[in-house]
Amino acid sequence: MMHAALESFCADPVKFLAPWFVLLPAFVLLLSAAAAVVMRNLIHAALCLTLSFIALGVVFIALGAEFVGLVQLLVYVGAVAMVIVFAILLTRPEQLEKSRSVFSGIGPAGGAAIAFGLLATLLGFIFASPLAKKPLPAPAVAPVANIGEALMGNHVVALIVIGVLLTAALVGAAVIAMEDQP
Amino acid sequence: MTEFLENAPIALLAWFLGILGSFGVPGWMLEIISALIVIGTVIGIFLGLFALASVMERKILARVQNRFGPNRVGPFGLFQPVADGIKMITKEDLVPRGADRIVHFLAPVVMMVPALLVLAILPYGRGMVPAELDAGILYFFAVGAGTEVAVFMAGWGSNNKYSMLGAMRAIAQLISYEIPLVMSGITAAMIAGSLMPSAIVAAQGGFIFGFIPQWFVLTPWGFTAGLIFYIGALAESNRSPFDLPEGESELVAGHLTEYSGFKYATFFMAEYVGMFAICGMLVTLFLGGWQAPLPFLTIIPSWAWFLGKVCFVAFTMIWVRATLPRLRIDHLLAFAWKFLLPMSFAAFFSAACWHFAGRGLVAWLLSLAIVAIPYLAFGIHFSSRFAISRRTYRFSE
Repeated sequence: MMHAALESFCADPVKFLAPWFVLLPAFVLLLSAAAAVVMRNLIHAALCLTLSFIALGVVFIALGAEFVGLVQLLVYVGAVAMVIVFAILLTRPEQLEKSRSVFSGIGPAGGAAIAFGLLATLLGFIFASPLAKKPLPAPAVAPVANIGEALMGNHVVALIVIGVLLTAALVGAAVIAMEDQP
Repeated sequence: MTEFLENAPIALLAWFLGILGSFGVPGWMLEIISALIVIGTVIGIFLGLFALASVMERKILARVQNRFGPNRVGPFGLFQPVADGIKMITKEDLVPRGADRIVHFLAPVVMMVPALLVLAILPYGRGMVPAELDAGILYFFAVGAGTEVAVFMAGWGSNNKYSMLGAMRAIAQLISYEIPLVMSGITAAMIAGSLMPSAIVAAQGGFIFGFIPQWFVLTPWGFTAGLIFYIGALAESNRSPFDLPEGESELVAGHLTEYSGFKYATFFMAEYVGMFAICGMLVTLFLGGWQAPLPFLTIIPSWAWFLGKVCFVAFTMIWVRATLPRLRIDHLLAFAWKFLLPMSFAAFFSAACWHFAGRGLVAWLLSLAIVAIPYLAFGIHFSSRFAISRRTYRFSE
């Protein structure tokens, strides 16, 4: 067993190690996500979360979903992580102490139970869905061009609706931020 | 001769790998060695450019300000980077007592990584792209977003109010200017019909009437978008007049306050390499990449054109630094959101109209009108609101 593994490693290490290009960032993703939950220091937690965003992007790219991975990096590392960090810096610690949600009383064990329950439900529905039973489609030849054509063709209405929604959000943000004039 | 010089870098690599192959080195190892050689060459060239730029910047600034600049070390002060490097390495590395040691240590590293990673997708010459990515432009901006995290880590990890203020300003600036930057960059990708940098360069090849290059910057939309990209590039690389995150006079260098020795040098290096990378992107998107400006100039190899254009754009950035004063933070953000962003939308629309009007003379005039009318309207609007008058001070007499 060991000998065979060593032999296939020596024959073509790049091919032998290929699964690890996915598994390694996946481990980093899990570890950093766990660290983001456990860390006491909020900024450290946010930075760990940022690392998990990066690792998720790398997992996507390693799996061949180049476009999704790059958008993940652009949106989550470039924007969402910064929004989280700004939100932490702009809220005062005493406000954090006061904020109590309905789940505050259940403790860590209860929280873990809810999280695993949610995960189990989601997994159950994912594996029960007809999509999971279909065979995987063959990988696309030019994924980015295909995504562009799909967005501008079949899903153009969805794209426009999202555009309108984001414009409305932007206008709303500008109105809230505007103090001088009513 | 031309052919030989054009293909020299690729031929040299193939020759070297051929020799290794004849010694019985397995194929996978050759692949890795070839990748390492390419990576080493690209990083070496850009670090060389950094060393050159650090002395040329001071020389050019000195020339503009009628001084000599560095002239003690070596001929014309050209060995100044070596002296600077030795000084930086031997300097004491100070870490504030209250600093978050890990974050403080990691910030320069995190700053350097995206600056080097974005170099992978630039087309340095005909068929000379280290990593031919389908979504190369997206990769450039996605990886570049890591800089913001590094700036925040530096500002927060230093546990210094000036650092934090500088980092907050820097992040606000980076996020604000990234939107016009991407919006204007996208126009070139839209007209070329690809996010692949080499395809965008290829779309700018050829000459109209045999002598006018088809670079995007020579069209109305391309000129507008290119200019917006240039301004955004100045802001993204923290260059003057957008260098206020590290304004020495107000913020004692912002997020760099608590850095000394080699960590400071790393930040400095990442900033310069990032500047050259974004100049390379500007050249790729709007200035025709490695294409020669005139047909008979194609005797000069493509990689020399690319390098020359990048150095020229970098030179103009130094020139701008010597010319313009620093902006105030509210002016800076207002400029990004109220002028650059709408103008980049206008350039976007103009590019679309240029494409659908057939890319001829009519299209040229139409796209000119679409960018010129908003520009004039903004000019009239802003100049009527901010009439030039005697300056009044709100907080001091």
